[in-house]
Amino acid sequence: MFRNILCLLFFSIATFSYAQDKGIISGAFETNANIFLRDSAINAINIPQYDHQFFGGEAWLNLNYKIKGFTFGSRFDMFHNSNLRNPTGSYSGTGIGRWYVKKEIDKVEISAGYLYDQIGSGFIFRAFETRPLFIDNALYGVSAKYQFNENWHLMGFAGKQKNAFETYTGNIKGIRTEGFVSLGTEENPLTLAPGFGFVNRTLSDEYMNAVVDVLRTYQEADRFKPVYNTYATTIYNTLNYKGLSLYTEVALKSNDVFNNPFAEKQELVGDNTLGKLVKAQGSVFYGSLSYVMGNLGVTVEAKRTENFSFRVDPNLTLLRGMINFLTPLNRQNTFRLTARYSPAALDISEMAYNFDVRYKFSKALSANVNFSDIKTLEGDRLFQEIFTELIYKYKRKWQLTSGLQLVTYNQEIYETKAEVPLVKTVVPYIDLLYKFTPQKSLRAEFQYMETKQDFGSWLFGLLEFGLAPRWSFEASGMYNNKPKKANSKGEIEKTLYPTFGIVFFNEGQRYSLRYVKQVEGIVCSGGICRLEPAFSGVRFAMNTTF
Amino acid sequence: MRNFSLYIILITFLSLNSCTEISPEIGEASIPSTERVVLLEELTGASCPNCPKGTAAVEAILKKFPGKVAAVGIHGKFLSEPTKKSKYDFRFKEAENLENWLRPWLGKPAATVNRVELGDPDQKYATVVTGQWESMVVSELNKPHRLSVLLDANYNQTDKSIEIDVTTIPLEDLDGSYNITVYITESKIIDAQIDGNVIKDVFEHNHVLRAFTTKFDGDALATNMKKGESIKKKYVFTPPIVEGLWVKENLEVVVAVHKSSSNDREVIQTAFKKLKG
Repeated sequence: MFRNILCLLFFSIATFSYAQDKGIISGAFETNANIFLRDSAINAINIPQYDHQFFGGEAWLNLNYKIKGFTFGSRFDMFHNSNLRNPTGSYSGTGIGRWYVKKEIDKVEISAGYLYDQIGSGFIFRAFETRPLFIDNALYGVSAKYQFNENWHLMGFAGKQKNAFETYTGNIKGIRTEGFVSLGTEENPLTLAPGFGFVNRTLSDEYMNAVVDVLRTYQEADRFKPVYNTYATTIYNTLNYKGLSLYTEVALKSNDVFNNPFAEKQELVGDNTLGKLVKAQGSVFYGSLSYVMGNLGVTVEAKRTENFSFRVDPNLTLLRGMINFLTPLNRQNTFRLTARYSPAALDISEMAYNFDVRYKFSKALSANVNFSDIKTLEGDRLFQEIFTELIYKYKRKWQLTSGLQLVTYNQEIYETKAEVPLVKTVVPYIDLLYKFTPQKSLRAEFQYMETKQDFGSWLFGLLEFGLAPRWSFEASGMYNNKPKKANSKGEIEKTLYPTFGIVFFNEGQRYSLRYVKQVEGIVCSGGICRLEPAFSGVRFAMNTTF
Repeated sequence: MRNFSLYIILITFLSLNSCTEISPEIGEASIPSTERVVLLEELTGASCPNCPKGTAAVEAILKKFPGKVAAVGIHGKFLSEPTKKSKYDFRFKEAENLENWLRPWLGKPAATVNRVELGDPDQKYATVVTGQWESMVVSELNKPHRLSVLLDANYNQTDKSIEIDVTTIPLEDLDGSYNITVYITESKIIDAQIDGNVIKDVFEHNHVLRAFTTKFDGDALATNMKKGESIKKKYVFTPPIVEGLWVKENLEVVVAVHKSSSNDREVIQTAFKKLKG
């Protein structure tokens, strides 16, 4: 109610101001609507949407208004029998999902409301939104940024983290200072972009009581004195020299209470179990070195993460209440089968490397080789990927993209599946775009995944016919040609997962309508992944900006 | 300007050194003296990697509060399918119905304590935070005792049936409509269970929900009960014959009296008993 009154107030002010001085109003609208069609053959069953709700969707309407150094914004959110929040549940909620006010006064910028921001790469703080995963970690509070000069600023913030239409009760506050330093000469410019950030999270009494309740059930050996306050700090810098770019960041976290799913817990009765609250310090070391020389581009990245789970409440799990964001180091793939086994960044124990080389042989031909390697700090294999890509463009007539991907994926850890072997896949892929005319084009994708684990091998094919600038028609199929897994009827069957879709573009609007059968799998968005159940039904999506 | 930033960093570190907080004490949970018996319904499953942690939490609670807590392990649908090394399948339709009836919940293991609403849109009755189950039990035990449930459960050797006699006696006037749910559970079943990323061949499954003698969401008991007005109910259940299961020494009858409105399912008293005879 209070938020609605505030929004009304802001837009009243805005309208009043509009009468005196012209401002700029902008916005965006996005909606998803799903019709759920039960299909036990692909395990698209046993959630309320398949059982009795049949329809579910979401919508977001953003409105922003700028005038005289003020920016007012609000967002209306609607979730209607939505499976975004919990893929095996149903969530409904409607209201003002976000509002904010921003004002620039000379060198100061003041903001209040639901704010998005981050420090460095986000290792100690990132307030962000990722709609496909129901992540909206906006900071509900205030921030002030002082611009000392064109190169240096200091920003401070304080607030609580958003939790759907409520907020979590713990407090978060922090500062960030960033700058830009130019050294060297005009011929040999050397620039630095250093930054420093600090965040303090204070547990609310409510969350501390919950932690104490949990610790009270622990045996003496597992107990510890919890702390209300956790401090995290980060120092980072980007160095640029000619074709060389080096980004380094070190983040440290003081003693924090968090859930370690791999820690052994003593039990009063029976065998010890895995997973308990622990108190420990954490660290992240990250480095990224890029070098571009002529047609060659090389990037090397490394990241070491230890005990860096940082949440508003230690009892929260999955994607809930994350204060920070840990950058995944593997390549973010886009083709259906090359993206099928994708790792989420792990916060307890991870050592990750990524090596990427791109070379342009000519205007027509270019190549990319990527290698990712992720292990635990104890040396257990988590993920490995070797990815190759060759792109050939023939004038403006056609373009061929092709390559091979080899993946090793630890399903036990990423999907908590017991006694399953490492998933090893080999995926050759090819993508051909042919332009009949500047308006008419046909894109064909073909991928094959050879694997003896999980669901077994897959074939994927897609045809997409484009009629620019308005229409696009697509048909695709994912076929489990060497199945390994029984469906809900207990049968191991070769199964086809077809998709048919139409996309319509109109000015800044995009409408899509698809009939989809989608296998259970990992869905990653913005580097964050979660296990999604199978989907069967019709999906309509629309988005527009104005 | 760079000096200023260095000052900021220095001040931040220096100020941290002066922040020594007073941590809360971790005391022991007090065991209330009460006639209340609470119902702990655990959503679990043989294929649920974290469920042994829930099992351990339940057993610890039963040990800490003997006679005060009735446990029911619901092997519904989610992560409840037998492992590749399992001998038995604990799932049945009514258990799945109950699991769905307790939605939404975030995952397994999760437990309800007297089906008290948690005020969380993701977890209406059942929380995944195993460490909170004990404090929820204490909280429920500290509530006033409002209804007595007397239970007698006998095994009839002649026709191999279980005869259950229940008498409810309100200790005060109880407004609203109430249902009664009768569960049959079985313990000491040795079978496989996923634990983390291994399958344990030998795992003791206790309090496994095996059957209802009422509907899964309860049969109507009474409306607006008056103090002292007792209600008697009798149930007869004949267990099926299955090799290795339905061992009468390991069977237990659990009776729960609970509110029956769609928005309030709170359990007000529970009773449980091993079979006699």
